[in-house]
Amino acid sequence: MNVGIEALNVYCGVTSVAVPVLFEGRGLDATRLGNLMMTAKSVALPFEDPVTHAVNAAKPILDAMDEADRDRIELLVTSSESGLDLSKSIASYVHRHLGLSRRCRMLEVKQACYAATGALQLACGYLAAGLSPGAKALVIATDVSLVNENASYTEPAMGTGAAAVLLGDDPRVLDVDLGAFGTHSYETFDSARPGPTFDVADADRSLFAYLDCLTNAYAHYAEKVADVDFATTFAGLAMHTPFAGIVRAAHRKLAREHRLPDADVDFARRVAPGLEYPRLVGNLCSGSVYLALASLIDHLRPDEPVRVGMYSYGSGCAAEFYSGLVDARSTAEVGRMRIGEHLAGRCELTFDEYKRILADNADCLVPVADKRIDPGRYAEVLDRVTGPRTLLACTGVRAYHRRYEWIGAGA
Amino acid sequence: MGVSDEAVRRVVHEVITEILPAVPGDRIPGGAHLRDLGADSIDRVEIIMALRERLGVDAPLAGFSDLPDIDHLVAYLCEVTA
Repeated sequence: MNVGIEALNVYCGVTSVAVPVLFEGRGLDATRLGNLMMTAKSVALPFEDPVTHAVNAAKPILDAMDEADRDRIELLVTSSESGLDLSKSIASYVHRHLGLSRRCRMLEVKQACYAATGALQLACGYLAAGLSPGAKALVIATDVSLVNENASYTEPAMGTGAAAVLLGDDPRVLDVDLGAFGTHSYETFDSARPGPTFDVADADRSLFAYLDCLTNAYAHYAEKVADVDFATTFAGLAMHTPFAGIVRAAHRKLAREHRLPDADVDFARRVAPGLEYPRLVGNLCSGSVYLALASLIDHLRPDEPVRVGMYSYGSGCAAEFYSGLVDARSTAEVGRMRIGEHLAGRCELTFDEYKRILADNADCLVPVADKRIDPGRYAEVLDRVTGPRTLLACTGVRAYHRRYEWIGAGA
Repeated sequence: MGVSDEAVRRVVHEVITEILPAVPGDRIPGGAHLRDLGADSIDRVEIIMALRERLGVDAPLAGFSDLPDIDHLVAYLCEVTA
């Protein structure tokens, strides 16, 4: 039985700030741009939150399905490190605003930037078990950034947005190699979000764990799967991308360990295509590896079946390397989401605009009983978005219950 | 028999100056962190990966996370190459 990703879309906000502009505004050392390898970062508007990101990522997928197929979505999982409530899930709001069936299971999961891949594997296992033939599952990774100038060089690398992954038995985007996975997990405190307004991170501990886990997860994968050769098995690699520079270092590490003769050429051919979108967006947390997959497919444009490797890492830490097949259907399916066009159409903010929006976003995850948010306050920015977009917006909170409305953006 | 402290320190200085050419190899204080020498997080990754390779160390990178300065880095490398 084939099971995997039937459709994939990302929502990465409608505004962005150029990384060199942010460096200049913050007085950061521009010589570090080379190792960071980031071009721009997505910025949320103050009426956006993990719910709106998730819905805005998944809605185009659902709009392309007929009603009967939509009703076969029997599992909705949101993965996030940007939870809005200790009990009520993001998934419950997403279920409502996507209009999913009331016979759909829903829940929220958390394991830092790994959570979506864990949910995807559990969902694939459920679908492959054949307990409900023809069922589909929707996994949505959704997060917002909380970093500001206190985060120093992490600020330019943190993105915002969501990746929506529809799973089923017609895997047009990624035919997951069932059982072909390698995992590596242990407890460490490399980064965390102890409260709703700030993150803590130990850069060395986190990057070293990311790299150790890649080596170990890949080794576990290679133990389980016959005839794997790092140099030839994968036409491309999609990797969790906290920033593109660490992915280049990670590839170099694997290239050394597997004695690839020319790491730079191999990086340009198999890894760089998967970094095109992440470099324009920033870290999407557990959606990051699926943004990288969309980028890989949109830029490799496979026209015959080839295997790709997927690496997911989440602080704390849990990691997985797995694989799947992509082909011409993947190119068509991801292409029709027009991700590159939407990224290019974002409104580019000045540094002063970015600072004002950042201040308005600071309490996005803080629970309050009542508040009102007027998306109209940001009309001037929304008017600068290229291409018409219909977006779910958070309009406030009443007795702790979040309120949402659909709005228009762009021209 | 393990590699001597002096030999390891020489390799550490070599690798640092290869990755951070602006740092004078004969003036690297043992009490400095790689950060103090201007190494960003990728430079630090590259320095540690190069040291592991050059000294034939298999120890995970995670073991290098907490080392407060170059003296401790040298001591740790001596320990894991012993």
